[in-house]
Amino acid sequence: MRDPYQVLGVSSSATDEEVKKAYRTLARKYHPDNYHDNPLADLAQERMKEINEAYETIQAQRKNHGSAYQGYQQGGSSGYSYGGSYGGAYGAYGTDSGYQRIRMAIQQGDLNLAEELLNARSDHDGEWYYLKGVVCYRRGWMDEAHRYYETAVQMNPDNAEYRHALDVMEGRQSAYQPDGYRAMTTAGCGSNTISRICGTLLCINCLTGGGWYCCC
Amino acid sequence: MFGYVRPALDKLDGENREKFQAAYCGLCHTLGRRYGLPARLFLNYDLAFLAMLLGKTCCQSPKHCVVHPIRKRPCACRSAALDAAADYSVILVWWQLQDGIADHGFWGGLKYRAASLLLRRAYRRARGNRPEFDGDTQALLARLSELERENCPIPDQPADCFARLLVRTAQGESDPERRRVLEHLLYHLGRWIYLVDAADDIKKDLRRGNYNPLALRFPHRDGVWTEESRLRLGQTLDQSIRQMASAFELADFGDYSDVIRSVVYEGLYLVGAAVLDGTFRQREKREKR
Repeated sequence: MRDPYQVLGVSSSATDEEVKKAYRTLARKYHPDNYHDNPLADLAQERMKEINEAYETIQAQRKNHGSAYQGYQQGGSSGYSYGGSYGGAYGAYGTDSGYQRIRMAIQQGDLNLAEELLNARSDHDGEWYYLKGVVCYRRGWMDEAHRYYETAVQMNPDNAEYRHALDVMEGRQSAYQPDGYRAMTTAGCGSNTISRICGTLLCINCLTGGGWYCCC
Repeated sequence: MFGYVRPALDKLDGENREKFQAAYCGLCHTLGRRYGLPARLFLNYDLAFLAMLLGKTCCQSPKHCVVHPIRKRPCACRSAALDAAADYSVILVWWQLQDGIADHGFWGGLKYRAASLLLRRAYRRARGNRPEFDGDTQALLARLSELERENCPIPDQPADCFARLLVRTAQGESDPERRRVLEHLLYHLGRWIYLVDAADDIKKDLRRGNYNPLALRFPHRDGVWTEESRLRLGQTLDQSIRQMASAFELADFGDYSDVIRSVVYEGLYLVGAAVLDGTFRQREKREKR
């Protein structure tokens, strides 16, 4: 196992408060919400596990070293406790075994099979549109996923899972931002953004991209 | 690849701006060393960003060059990643030129033919260095032209071709985990570049009657997006940027971490916004006057 302090990115002389802060920042970064239906969710989950273990190890070590650290009574539960919701809660829906199989295929990353099974179905209800959306999302076809999610929500407005997917798609779920950065959207940037983009470097005109760069 | 990828100016300190510049100059020198002067003319920001993604370390030495003859500029040293980025750059630009020739008539295509003549020797050498990548690029761009001919109204489909093309540039990465992360990041980088480029070209495409997947998909008035379309297009671009950021957090990007962070958490949003409201292209501004 790696040095728990190294995992959290703090020195071994860090105060409890600093350790906790480092842990919380990392936990926010690798939070399942940031990797929902993301093909890299398993890596984020591993990272999360490592961070949790490191935090718990440090707490246990400090607790055992005399009474100086008595402030830490909450144990591992003081921070975040995450369930295994990285891949989405597939398999929990209804009793339709056909859909269960499709959800299983998605969870195992077999998108071709999932798509094949979906295309073989003639009854296109909310669940069908939602799962089509998930397959597109996993592939990176975000605009198509958006359209499917929208239809799924229209057909089943009360389904929390579909609504959550659409909320993520339309930027209504807060995502992790590093220190010094704020949440942004392309459409919400406002005007006069061009002056904030780095463009101070080059001098060679690019034939293919159009030679409009300025010399400096 | 047209130079859309930029870091956010106010998020980079002097040291990191220098790193960005050094990567750019390093790629330029590498292109010159491996492929001669003509290849250097085709360099742009997107390719420099690719070089930063592929190479983690940034050793620098000041160098002179044609465009900086008096003052030496910091320049990234030789590395396998820069060599690879240079090879991919030449091949990508070459096939884009071929696409330009095919898309335009005799007069319109002159510019592309001239450029492609200039790049021919470099391309042949790059093809020799990366035959596999060259084959993949050719196949994916052929598929892309097919979709263009069919007037495909689903932007994700042509964007997927371009995205998969960039994914191929990660093939030299030996660590399987890092490779997966890179591939995911590159996919969404490619998707984002393709869509932003299509949004940027909408007026030109409408004027010339060229294929533009976004014009077929989102309502607009003479190439100006309706508010609803701007929102929707922004959302789909945001999704790719978020995916890039989520991948970025899962691998070590070494010396370039701060620069890449400023790209995926701010720079791309700003460029996308400027493209969507038509302020990105200074050339277009000139046309309006």
